[in-house]
Amino acid sequence: MTKYVKYVDVTKCDGCRACMVACKNWNDLPAEHTDFLGSAQSHPKVTADTWNVLQYIEHENGKGDLEYLFRHSSCFHCTEAACEKVCPEDAISHTKFGTVVIDQDKCVGCGYCVQNCPFEVISLKEYKDKNGKTYRKSQKCTMCTDRIEEGLQPACVTTCHTGAMEFGEKEAMIKKAEQRVKEIKDRYPNARVYNPQGVGGTHTIYVLAEKPSVYGLPENPKVPTSAILWKDYAQPIGKAMIGATTMAVVGAFVTNKFFSKRAEKAEQEDGGESHE
Amino acid sequence: MVEMNLNRRQFLKLSGAAAATLAIVELGFDEKNVYAKTKEFKIAKTKVTPTICCYCGVGCGILVHTKNNTVVYTEGDPDNPINEGKLCSKGTTIRQLYTSKKRLTKPLYRAPGSKKWEEKDWEWMLDTIAKRVKETRDASFIEKEEGITVNKTEKIASLGGAALDNEETYLLAKLMRGLGVVYLEHQARI
Repeated sequence: MTKYVKYVDVTKCDGCRACMVACKNWNDLPAEHTDFLGSAQSHPKVTADTWNVLQYIEHENGKGDLEYLFRHSSCFHCTEAACEKVCPEDAISHTKFGTVVIDQDKCVGCGYCVQNCPFEVISLKEYKDKNGKTYRKSQKCTMCTDRIEEGLQPACVTTCHTGAMEFGEKEAMIKKAEQRVKEIKDRYPNARVYNPQGVGGTHTIYVLAEKPSVYGLPENPKVPTSAILWKDYAQPIGKAMIGATTMAVVGAFVTNKFFSKRAEKAEQEDGGESHE
Repeated sequence: MVEMNLNRRQFLKLSGAAAATLAIVELGFDEKNVYAKTKEFKIAKTKVTPTICCYCGVGCGILVHTKNNTVVYTEGDPDNPINEGKLCSKGTTIRQLYTSKKRLTKPLYRAPGSKKWEEKDWEWMLDTIAKRVKETRDASFIEKEEGITVNKTEKIASLGGAALDNEETYLLAKLMRGLGVVYLEHQARI
């Protein structure tokens, strides 16, 4: 199956925030009360009700000029997703398009994914059931997987009027990003493609105007070793152990039966109370 | 130990069934996909009506998805040559014009000097507006100023909105000029 990628060229973004509203509109997410942050940015970061946030970064470039940098920030949909690795309920999985989604019915709100996400884009939301008991679920951008399934593009991409965002096949988008970096090198000498290989590449790739750290992004994000140990070693071993235990119990039962039969037989033979 | 009389055949049958169940649960049967199929696409059975955004003068096309007598989704109209499916952050919120709890559904009237808004019906509202416009205009009408015919009133002003289309703007200007309004303005010039 072809993998799809959301291409974000931050140098074309004019900071209109239509992507934020389009996301709320499609996913029926409620508004959040926010406080003034000292800049034009509306929310400090992605939350359970705000799946994408437009960053407004006031950056002083090497020449002493102020650059106003924008970045559409949401889930990266990593190829090797830490959230998927650590989820003890297998609630997080990859779709055939390469997007990472959370199964709301399976999620138990343990928050392991929130702690392990290298980009801090998953959040827990608190709900109240009909008895007034609170429970939690993990929430994040789904890359509008429901829309992709119907042949539509993600809501944020659909609404972007500057062409800062595009959605397409992985190889084509990576090529486009590399081409774009060449075009903007004169104006932004630090420009680069952000498609971190530490997490096997992502399904949201960026053309960044500056170093990732300027945008508050990790230079080389990785799936935490503990997550790999947990999912790839501890869990299979645990499962194998359950299997082994089951087999041992069954085995013990059978042997026990077998030996007790023999003992019985021996007893019968010894005791001579045979009715045969 | 619990007594369980299993002969060889029964034992094989049982362990076979257990293995098959495990295989289905662990490997073969993808319940996620099956569950996903049972969820209906948000705009699968909606009625789609094209409209024009009411906010600024650009006049972007919007598709309004309605179901069960309410608006469930709005999106930029890809067939509209003005916005080609794109929308700004404000135009994207247009669903709330209909669904917002703060939406006014009846005309509100605040009498001069009053602190309270009271609900009135449209009939009363339009009649009152017409009556008072006529009164104000007649009382403040200036025919001549410094020997020049002006036929104007300076006590009424009109502020048009960007959502008005060509024809509406024409009618509004015609009416206002007819009354002698000189403060004839438009929101897009602010």
